Amino acid sequence: MKGGTGFRIYAMVYLVFLYAPIVLLPMFAFNNGIIIAFPLQGFTTQWFAALLDDPPLHDAVRNSLIIAVSVSILSTTLGVFAARASTRFNFPFKGPLMGLIMLPLVLPEIIVAVSLLVVLLGLGVSLNILTVILGHVLVCTPFCIAILTSAFQSLDRSLEEAAYDLGETPLSTFRLIILPLVMPGIVSALLISFTISLDEFIIAFFLAGTQATLPVYIFSQFRFPQAVPVIMALGTILVCLSILLLSIAEFFRRRGLARSGAKDTGGFL
Amino acid sequence: MTEKPTMPGPTMIEFRDVQKYYGDYHALRGITAEIRAGEFFSLLGPSGCGKTTLLRTIAGFESISSGVVLIDGKDMAQVPANQRPTNMVFQSYAIFPHLTVAENVGFGLRREAGSREDKARRVTEALEMVGLKGYGARAAHALSGGQRQRVALARALILKPKVLLLDEPLSALDKKMRENMQVELIKLQRQVGITFILVTHDQEEALVMSDRIAVMFEGQIAQLDDPETLYRRPKTRQVADFIGTMNFLPAEVAAQTNEGYSVDVAGLGRCEITEAQAPGAPTGGPASVGFRPETLTILYEGQTTSDRVSEGTVEEVVYYGDMTYYDVKLDGIDTPVRLSMRNLPGRPVLDIRTRTRVSWSPGALVLFR
Repeated sequence: MKGGTGFRIYAMVYLVFLYAPIVLLPMFAFNNGIIIAFPLQGFTTQWFAALLDDPPLHDAVRNSLIIAVSVSILSTTLGVFAARASTRFNFPFKGPLMGLIMLPLVLPEIIVAVSLLVVLLGLGVSLNILTVILGHVLVCTPFCIAILTSAFQSLDRSLEEAAYDLGETPLSTFRLIILPLVMPGIVSALLISFTISLDEFIIAFFLAGTQATLPVYIFSQFRFPQAVPVIMALGTILVCLSILLLSIAEFFRRRGLARSGAKDTGGFL
Repeated sequence: MTEKPTMPGPTMIEFRDVQKYYGDYHALRGITAEIRAGEFFSLLGPSGCGKTTLLRTIAGFESISSGVVLIDGKDMAQVPANQRPTNMVFQSYAIFPHLTVAENVGFGLRREAGSREDKARRVTEALEMVGLKGYGARAAHALSGGQRQRVALARALILKPKVLLLDEPLSALDKKMRENMQVELIKLQRQVGITFILVTHDQEEALVMSDRIAVMFEGQIAQLDDPETLYRRPKTRQVADFIGTMNFLPAEVAAQTNEGYSVDVAGLGRCEITEAQAPGAPTGGPASVGFRPETLTILYEGQTTSDRVSEGTVEEVVYYGDMTYYDVKLDGIDTPVRLSMRNLPGRPVLDIRTRTRVSWSPGALVLFR
């Protein structure tokens, strides 16, 4: 198995490249020194303590959470409508319409951000959390549609017909049959749009006005060398939270699969 | 094949010149038919003949382009699927995978009045009826194909519909299971007395189960009759060919007589054929006759018959255990005819290229236009 060894080495190098930087995060977060370099200086938790005493950071976290939660709910809801419409119905200009909705997926974000800024300023809208939410929904909705379309497509059409045949209305059929069966897709869509929104920088940077989000705040802090270890501590917390969040989502996805007996198509992880 | 006694019930479903277009495609081309109450009725035809579309117009899943569909005397034009007195068993069974067996079966009771206990009792009864007693708490997705089928049946029958629609319900089951379910479905239908309408492409299944069968080709009903008439007196060659096996020989109608027709059949000579043997009402001139494999009999050494006899050579032998099929090339006929013999003691299976005598009767022929 010569080829096997080659691929194994390739996989190892790939994983190291991907995850070594993330392993460095906690290392320097607990390192007693401002310079990010080896050798390590000793153990400290002072950078984590510093996080607690940083009101602008707290504001940024609060802003980011408000934005990410709103964006995930809004874009998943819009995604449900669009995915349902595109998988179930035929209407004029369906192809071009769906194409236009999916376009932000491939447009350079900087272009989207600049054009949004120009339009908003032209309309005289003041920049705040709301404008960031609007921008993020634009970018996140295509991701939600992509995930939800596959969930809706795997749904047997006769399940709906059966419920309708047994006396339910189209609305109650949606609630009782369709919604529970696409729930794993909805959870995935919520999660991915939350994640995208939480670490999105460009649009937030252009549209946030004075209400900085977490990525924007982190970027601004890199100007000060003494803030870098604090950012490392913050990063460590964020990585842990991400892993926790993904584990929870995967748990629910697998439980949903086991319940409905559907085949595991891989999902997220 | 014993014919079931047909119940001359009142009309349950009536189609009046039903037309259905999908864009340019003409799916149903003027269906006019009546289905009686309490009948086991089958829509039989090859795929794409419109049988499923017709079934779905009864359920209300397909709108019709013109014509009228009446259920129990009421025009269904303005009645949506969820208010029609019909329930359907889907080809895929459409069992709700996230619910238990009992929740599936009781799904239709959600909107009905009645106490929780009463509904639970009805679910138990329905499960008992289809032989799934004690399965209520199981997860629906963990059931086998045959069990899903039963759950789908119980779920549709629990609402006591006037008509039960079955869309190729047995096509996903293996042969043995299918035959068992056929018998169970017939028993169930007699027990509940509900009108069953079955869509199938399997002619054997239709013959076994139905009181009457509508054979459909290209959006039209080619023939609507009870199974025996359909088998013995098919109106067209197409119907004859679709149901069972039939040998065809070119023929010429020589004269119309008081009783029927005088026909010159290629290789068989002049035959007198009664009116009843010509349900397609031929007019004269070039025609064809057909006969089923079992209407021909091989005469063994020393056997005599009052029927007519032809001679020929065995070209092919297909042994089925209980039956043997022979392709025999009769003298004076170009294409071999297929005949079937039961394998009884004293009837050795013939070898290929054996010369043999074959007896047949003009009374078993069917004359086609």
